[in-house]
Formats: sequence, C-alpha cells, structure tokens
Amino acid sequence: MATPRTSSQERFAQFKLVLLGESFVGKSSLVTRFVKDEFLEQRESTIGAAFLTQTVSLEDNKTVRFEIWDTAGQERYKSLAPMYYRNANCAVVVYDITQASSLERSKAWVKELQHRAADGIIIGLAGNKLDLEDKREVPTEEARAYAEEAGLLFFETSALTGENVLELFTEIARKVPFENSTARPRMSAKGVDLNKNGGTEAQGCNC
Amino acid sequence: MSSFSASSVSKRGSIVPPLAEDPAFVDSCDVLICGTGIVESILAAALAWQGSNVAHLDRNSIYGDSSAVLNLDELPRWVDEVNYESAVFSNAKLYQPRPLDSKKYFVDLTPRVLFAKSDMLQLLLKSRVYKYLEFRSLTNFHTYENDSFEKVPASKQDIFTSQQMSPVVKRQLMKFIKFTVEWERLYNVWGPYRDKPVVEFMTKEFQLEQTQIDELVQSIGLCSSNDVATPVALHRIKRYLVSLETYGAFPVVYSMYGSASELSQGFCRSAAVGGAVYKLNATLTGLDVDSKTAIFNDGSKVRWSEKLVVSEAQITEQVRSKIPSSNPEYQINHLTVIVNMDCKEWFAEGEDAAIIVFPVGSLSSGNTKTVQAICYGAESGQVPPGQCIWYLSTVQGGATGQRDLEEALSKMEASILRESTEDFEFQVDQSDVIFTPSGDPVLSSVKLGKSMKDFVPEKKLTYLIKLSYNQKTSIPPLEESIKDVAKNDGDESPVIVTSGAPTEITYDGIVEQVKKIYAQIVGSDDDFFDVDFEDDEEDELTGMAKQNKKQEDDDHVPDFGDDMEL
Repeated sequence: MATPRTSSQERFAQFKLVLLGESFVGKSSLVTRFVKDEFLEQRESTIGAAFLTQTVSLEDNKTVRFEIWDTAGQERYKSLAPMYYRNANCAVVVYDITQASSLERSKAWVKELQHRAADGIIIGLAGNKLDLEDKREVPTEEARAYAEEAGLLFFETSALTGENVLELFTEIARKVPFENSTARPRMSAKGVDLNKNGGTEAQGCNC
Repeated sequence: MSSFSASSVSKRGSIVPPLAEDPAFVDSCDVLICGTGIVESILAAALAWQGSNVAHLDRNSIYGDSSAVLNLDELPRWVDEVNYESAVFSNAKLYQPRPLDSKKYFVDLTPRVLFAKSDMLQLLLKSRVYKYLEFRSLTNFHTYENDSFEKVPASKQDIFTSQQMSPVVKRQLMKFIKFTVEWERLYNVWGPYRDKPVVEFMTKEFQLEQTQIDELVQSIGLCSSNDVATPVALHRIKRYLVSLETYGAFPVVYSMYGSASELSQGFCRSAAVGGAVYKLNATLTGLDVDSKTAIFNDGSKVRWSEKLVVSEAQITEQVRSKIPSSNPEYQINHLTVIVNMDCKEWFAEGEDAAIIVFPVGSLSSGNTKTVQAICYGAESGQVPPGQCIWYLSTVQGGATGQRDLEEALSKMEASILRESTEDFEFQVDQSDVIFTPSGDPVLSSVKLGKSMKDFVPEKKLTYLIKLSYNQKTSIPPLEESIKDVAKNDGDESPVIVTSGAPTEITYDGIVEQVKKIYAQIVGSDDDFFDVDFEDDEEDELTGMAKQNKKQEDDDHVPDFGDDMEL
C-alpha cells in the first residue's frame, strides 16, 4: 500500500498520526494551526466525527497525507482505547514549556507509546506555547537532551503564532518510512469500504 | 416521558480543569452511563451529540464490558475474575499449553458479524464511526451435513451450478428465494403460519426438503432451529439475501481486531468528540437513587440529573439491592480455540473468514439447537499468520450445550485435517489410508512414516488456546416471544439496566435497544444521531452519504427475477 499513485515519479503516502500529552498543553491547537492555519481560544470539539487530515509536500516529489487523531479528551483519565494507538505510524507528544511537570509527563506518554504502539513509530516531541517565553519553566536544552536520548524529533512550537508548527510536521513526514504507509480500509486491497457502493446496485451482472 | 433540554452545546469542551497529576472526575452530568458495552457506547455517543452532558465509566481497564476483546495477558485474569464474581459469565476454563506472544492475539468474548444491509451498518455510516474501523468481507457460509461442510448455495449462480440439487429442488428453492425478498407484502402466503414453526411453512407451501430448509433457516438465517416462528425466520433469511451484492458478492463484513468491542471503542471516541467524559477502572461502589448520586471506587462522586444507565456486568454486590433486577435467564455457551493451521480450505478466494453452521440434529450429541462457528485467519488481525481462531457458540445452555460444542469442534478438526490432507505433496495411494469407525480417513503412519517425518508436525492440529465459558443474557433466543428489552421500573425510574447481549452472532436488535433507551431519556428517538457533522472531506462525503441515503429509501432488492429458466 506504500505508493497508491506512482505517475511520473510522484509519490503519495498516507500515515496515521496520533497526538499525546497531558490535557491542555495545546494538542488540539497545534493540529488546528497545522490543518486550518487558525488558532482557537476555545477547544472546538465538533470538528468532524473522525480525524483531521493534512498533506505535506516534500522536496523529492513526495506527498505525505497525515490522518491526525486527536485524543478527544480521553487521555484525561487515562482512557485511551487500543484503537487509538493501532497502526499509528507517527505521534506528536506535546508538553507545555511553561509547566515544568508537563515535560515529565510527556516522558510517560512516550513510554506508553513505545509500549502500546507498533515498533518503529516516529515520535516528535513538541514543546508548545513558545509564545509565552517569559513564563518558560522548561529549558530548551533539557528537553532537547531528553529527545536525543529517547530518539525523538524535537521542536519548540507555538500554536498561537504558528512558529515551527509546519516544520514539526514536515520533519515527521521526511522521517516516516514511505513503505509503511497506513492502509486505511478504503485503500486496502482486501478491506471493504462501507462508504462505497453502500446499497448501490451491484456492478456487473450477477447472473 | 421525561423531556429535558440538556446543557447547551456551546459548553462542550470548554471546561478547563487544573493541570493536576490526577484531575478530579466530573461531579455532575445529565446522564451517567456505567459499562462500555456496545449498547451503552452507542447510547453515549447518541446522547453526547444530542447535547446531553454524558459521563461514561467502566469498572474494567479496557473497553467493551461483556463484549470485550482480550489479549493473552488479560485472558487468564478475566477467567479468574468471572469465576470469582460475574453476573454475566460463569464456568470459564482456559487451556494454554505453552506461552504465546500475547500482543499478537485478540480473543473476542462475543464475536459478531455485520450484515451488509442492516441498521447497525447504516448507523456506522451515519455516525461516521466506520472511519475508525477496518472491515473485511466474509462470503462462505458452510453447513455441516453428511459429515462434510457444504457451501451454502444462496446466489442464483450457486443454485444453477449446484451438482447436488435436482432441477425440481432448484426450482422450488428459487421460488422460495423470490418470495422471501418481498415476503412482507405477501401476507396471504405466510399469514396462516404466523405463529407456526417456519419448517411447517416451507414444507407445506414450498415443498422444500430438509437439507434446503436447514441451509436456509439455520445457515443463511442463522436461526437456532427450524422451529423459529415463520415471520422471524423469513425476516432473517431476507436479511442475508438483500445483503448480497450490496458491497460485493458477500453477505456480511466483519471488523478487524474484534467485533462489538471495536465498535464500542469507535462509538466511545465519537461520544468523547461530542463532549462525553470517560473514565476506565471505575467501579460502582455506592448508589443513592433518591439524590441521584453514584460513588466509585476511586472516590469520585457523580450526580446525575436524568438517568443512570448501567449494564448488568457493572452492578456490584454493594449496589445490587438498589437497582431493579434484570435477572438474566438465558444462556449462551462459548467454545473458542486457536489452532496452528490457516484453514484456507474453508475461506473464499482472497478472504480469511467463514461461518460454519451445525444444524439441529447433525451432531452425534443429538443437538437440539444449532452450533454456529465463526472462523478467522490472520487477516482478521486476531491471530498471527498460519493460525486460525474458531469461535463456536450455541444457545443451548448447560452441560448439553458444552457437549454439542465439543462435538462440533471435533468435526471441524476432522474436516480441516482431511481437507488439508488433499494438499499432500507426496504420493498417497488408497492402501495408505484407513478409515475410522466414524468414517474419518487416517493415514497409515507405519508405511508413510519416512516421508511424513518432516510433514506431520506441520499438519497436525494443535490447540494453542482452548477457552470455554457460559454467558447469560436477559434477551431470549428467537424461539421465545419477544419481551421488553430494557428492564426497568418504567420511564420514571432514575435507573435503567441494559439487557445483555442478544443471542446472536450478528448485531441485530442492538440499535433498536439503544433507540428505546434513548427515547426513554430524551422523550423520543426523532433526533437520534441527527448530527450535521462538519467534515474535512465534506464534499466528497456528503455526496456519498446522500447516495447511501437514497439507496436506503429505495430499499434495494437484489435481482432474483423471473428470467430464471430451470
């Protein structure tokens, strides 16, 4: 399923990306900035019933489409379902640079990911709220050292200003192995897409 | 009837609790739901999108409640737990001869398949929950008869090409199938049999033979016997016929990694997106119905303003006396095994799943109810490659049901060994095969010893897991008259106890049950999932959704036309 489109060396692949991190560190805001280039003061919970998607174009004629799963608040009481982690190719673990404890807890989320998600998952660590530099509690170097040690991509971001948001997702797009592209049901050869042909007349003659 | 206006939609998601190690759970809600089974999970999503403030908890660490899917670390714990205390499961036995890679296995406590044309499938589309799931097709329904598995001929071409039926039988069968796809309109034909067993109707009105009746009623219709009332059986046979050719030449699909539990996770996620609050590992330890307050083992105290909805399995001894009894009285016996063969012989081309039905009286145990088996290979995501999981079940309770299941299992074992024996790469002539008294061929290992040395371990059927258990439900099997599904003290009671699982390997009856409870809470089910989802791919999707809607209205009926010349 790696390359559904291969015309003139253009390559397209889709990946499932999950967000993790403590509540209210700005996970949804980060994605809203990436997908819609907007910043919402309040969490908008009615967007879609599923997940957001956004594509990133890379230099070498590659296009990466992210299917981004937000926690929908289910992380708050540690109630994320196995479904959330399943077939995730990449993850963004978010902490808040103005909350020292939030980096510590993002380390727990990384461990959780390494335990529950597939091996080889690409993880990006995002120190969010970079616009609140004057309230910073987590030194950049401390987080970077941790990220290097744990093998994570690392960016400090601001969902408010947009700083480093695209850079974060683009870097993940570069790093995620193209051949591991997620086979979503509607793309999988053996899967059945319930939204296709639903109730329509059968193709061809059945006699 | 109680009708209320729930907390306004704009409030959703705007609660900002402090960033704490263990944030306190919400202390109030409109509807408190305990148990993340399929009924409760759909209800949570429906209510959340309707605008109700929903708090949804489960005493277990995983989603699914009595329909959970377990890995091999969780399975032994579950067995111990339900043998110690459970209102739903009993008599659980697990046999696992050697350690396995736990994470590669998913054992479904209540496996179900999804008919391509069914209310659950429509709801998955409407709610967008299908997007979280992966579906695969299942074509082959086998019926066990005369010591072998016959593929059920259900499509026109199957009937045409069948070598086993005489032209007369073929004609009668086509006549019956044509009648069944529009049976509701033809009351004059079936009306006189409305309270009579379907076997009587099919014999007298269509002169069908036992073999065809077994296949139609028990395999295609998945009825537990031929004694099911005529309209019930007709409805179920039609369910299969209209599902064919909806997405392709298969009647059912199944979700990967597990059935109801996967749907539960999807609906719970949908509910969470809609604003419901979730907490696992929360056991109901106290209840004050007068003040509408529930207390949980973690110390949370939650007040509900409208209803407490609780599943049977979530009711602990501490609160049992305060909740109307639902007294589950019907039984389902389960036997689940994982074998070290891929069982491709049973599956249709490109698929990895099949249903096998043992009709009433087909087993030497003299079974009076069918035994149904769903078999999944590795493509289901439930077992690693080269293995297969067989889920056998029967609505026959007690030791009798267990015997039926064991007997069916031995037939499946004999069958798969025999069928895969045909693939032997070395020469075997007739004199190498001896037959057991029951007619099963056995290779004479003395003569073949040398050439089979490398072969035997691969072909011998080994049980990697064998699990049996008994399940109780308050939903009666098909033979019994339909009782009210949600047990409660009427609409005024602040507590609703949901029924257990339908005695079914499909999702039929579940959406209906949820809608009833939904109507009980909000007054009517008019706005059940009446949500205008903002969507990323809205143009593309709205178009398709409309197409689907239109089709639903058309009530597509497959072509079993008059052009049949036999």
